Amino acid sequence: MNKFLGNKTAILLFTLPTILLFSVIVMWPTLQVFYRSLYDWNGLTEGTFIGLDNYKRLFEDRLFYTSLKNGIIFAAVIAVLQIGIGTVLALTISNKMVRGRKFLRISYFIPVVLSVTVVCQLWLAMYNGEYGLINKVFEALGISYRQDWLSNGDTAIYAVAVVNAWQNMGYHFALLLAAANSIPEQYLEAAKIDGAEKWKAHWKVTIPLMSETYKFCLVLAITGGLNAFANMQIMTGGGPGTDTYTLTYMMYRSAFRVGEYGYGTTAAAFLIIECLIVTFAINRLVARERIVY
Amino acid sequence: MKKINKVLSLGLALSLTAAALSACGSNSGNKEAESTAGGSAEGKTKLRIYAQYSDEDTKGYYDYAVAELAKEMPNVELELEIQAQDDGQKLKTYAATGNLPDIFNTGLDLINVFRESNNILQLDEYVDKFGFKDKMLPSALNTLYTEDEHVYAFPYAGNEVILLYYNKELFEQNGVKVPTTLEEMHAAIDAFKAKGITPLSIFAKEKWPDVAFYDIFATRYNPAGISALDKGQAKPSDPGYKQAAQDIVDLVKAGLLPKGATNLNYDQAAALFHEGKAAMFVNGQWEIEASTKALGDKVGYMYYPAPDAASYEANKMAFSGGGNPGGYAVSANTKHKELAAEVASFMALKYAEFKVTKKGSPIVSTKVEKAVEKAYDPLMERLAQDLPNITSTTAFAWGLSNTKFKAAIEDASQALLSGSYTADQFIADLENGMK
Repeated sequence: MNKFLGNKTAILLFTLPTILLFSVIVMWPTLQVFYRSLYDWNGLTEGTFIGLDNYKRLFEDRLFYTSLKNGIIFAAVIAVLQIGIGTVLALTISNKMVRGRKFLRISYFIPVVLSVTVVCQLWLAMYNGEYGLINKVFEALGISYRQDWLSNGDTAIYAVAVVNAWQNMGYHFALLLAAANSIPEQYLEAAKIDGAEKWKAHWKVTIPLMSETYKFCLVLAITGGLNAFANMQIMTGGGPGTDTYTLTYMMYRSAFRVGEYGYGTTAAAFLIIECLIVTFAINRLVARERIVY
Repeated sequence: MKKINKVLSLGLALSLTAAALSACGSNSGNKEAESTAGGSAEGKTKLRIYAQYSDEDTKGYYDYAVAELAKEMPNVELELEIQAQDDGQKLKTYAATGNLPDIFNTGLDLINVFRESNNILQLDEYVDKFGFKDKMLPSALNTLYTEDEHVYAFPYAGNEVILLYYNKELFEQNGVKVPTTLEEMHAAIDAFKAKGITPLSIFAKEKWPDVAFYDIFATRYNPAGISALDKGQAKPSDPGYKQAAQDIVDLVKAGLLPKGATNLNYDQAAALFHEGKAAMFVNGQWEIEASTKALGDKVGYMYYPAPDAASYEANKMAFSGGGNPGGYAVSANTKHKELAAEVASFMALKYAEFKVTKKGSPIVSTKVEKAVEKAYDPLMERLAQDLPNITSTTAFAWGLSNTKFKAAIEDASQALLSGSYTADQFIADLENGMK
């Protein structure tokens, strides 16, 4: 193996196809995004170089701040729900005393494999202001809390975020369960001998030892939230008005509805930088030391 | 041995890479060759056409026109690509990659974009050659020429209008006067709400009906409505436009719309009206057929309510909606320019013919001499009588030429219907979007 790794030509040859594909599919379009953000460009003609004018306009655009705020709300909601509930479920299922663990494990993962369109249609019916399940439940409980979940500008972004959180929670659950199961049992046994209750042992032992998985989940949830598009496209069309716009949606509007591809790529460029900063920050702040058993 | 191994591994890696790349390349190459062939199979010329074909209505038009084409121009074979509801994204991508279909159905916004990028064929020469102008209805000439006095598409739709439909029976049964003023509209809302009837249904998830609804109120103050904003002849902050937004905010707050209105699609909103659960409904005149089928002679349309009786009378015949240049256009890069133009013009004429003879609608761009097979519905008869008296029309959202304004008004007018939006926010968002 060492002999093989010493052969730089072989390494280069075997990685070259992937590097080429990655460059063509990811790097080249990313570079194009930054390059085109400096142009007044309608996607069809050559375009005119305008320097940083698009960025200046972006920072003066009210829609940008709405989109940015919504992206942050969306990311926060899904991070808290997916990782929070995912942790509770993972720790519960990792307990060998729980019955029907296999069934529950599969059940929690089912939404992940469903199409986003199917999930959104399901929740659209549940959120319906007139005959939706959620309002009907409130009605049945005698609580006068009927809401216009998706048509109210104040609640719509949270309502859409919950759908995404519900669908992808199973993925985070699976990652966290694998992490919990990989912790050697003697750590928990030691905690038990020291008199720690089950949940205290999890709090003091299991969860800290899962910090690397949390880091990964956090990066996935936050960047996924900032990038959100499909849920709002299907459920609200960015509406009511612009109340569920995110930066991706703003990019879509600028490029495809207004025909300003240059300005659209500016929003995309900002999004790329935002995601990189968040990823970098999480990597620096969370689980800085590698845990080896 | 070492050398042989190196050579073998190099050869293997290269051949794998080459195979992977050539597989991608050869596929796309074949596809391109097929799609741009335009060649003749059995002496026929194949043309690619991009047309609406997604429901019974649009399929009816296309199938009729193609059947007629087979009789008149048997040397032409059409290869259909179904038009996507994607704000022209697919067509723009085709144009960017030099793969635009020979003939494509388009609206004014794309005409403007493709005109700038030289992707659309100017059809003036063919309009003269085929005598298309003589076939146009004089009242619909605005759908033929763009602002630069040239023709880029053969129109067929005509000057369609937005109607405010109502259920006569529900109004009579509940003793509600058909509103002519905003005050009467508020009275109607109160009366219907008290009976558990939704006052007005609108499929506000699609944004164009929201724009039309705003335009209904804006035209009470300025008959040019959203058209004046689109052309820069008026500003969103002008008193009439702000007041129109305020009128809608007040009506929505009073309970005009069903819960979750901005999330209702056509089927859901129309069902409320067709089943007698909603008293009023907003849609284009093409809704007459479906509403008559569901409600018979109970369906009617009212002139739009105005702030007071005087402005109601003054602007009674100023309608929202209207026609704009659009229809079947031809790619500037087609190999068969004249033939594609001829087929595009033929398709437009046959679409109009189908609409008049089979769909019972006289609202088209071109003259139709063939006998009507489906008699007009009574409501269409009434509209046909109103049409010559219409004093002005504006535009549908898809007929707006300023794409920035179009996107801004689509979003802002939907927000107006949410109940958590103010007229000031409406003006600010419109002005911000138009920058």
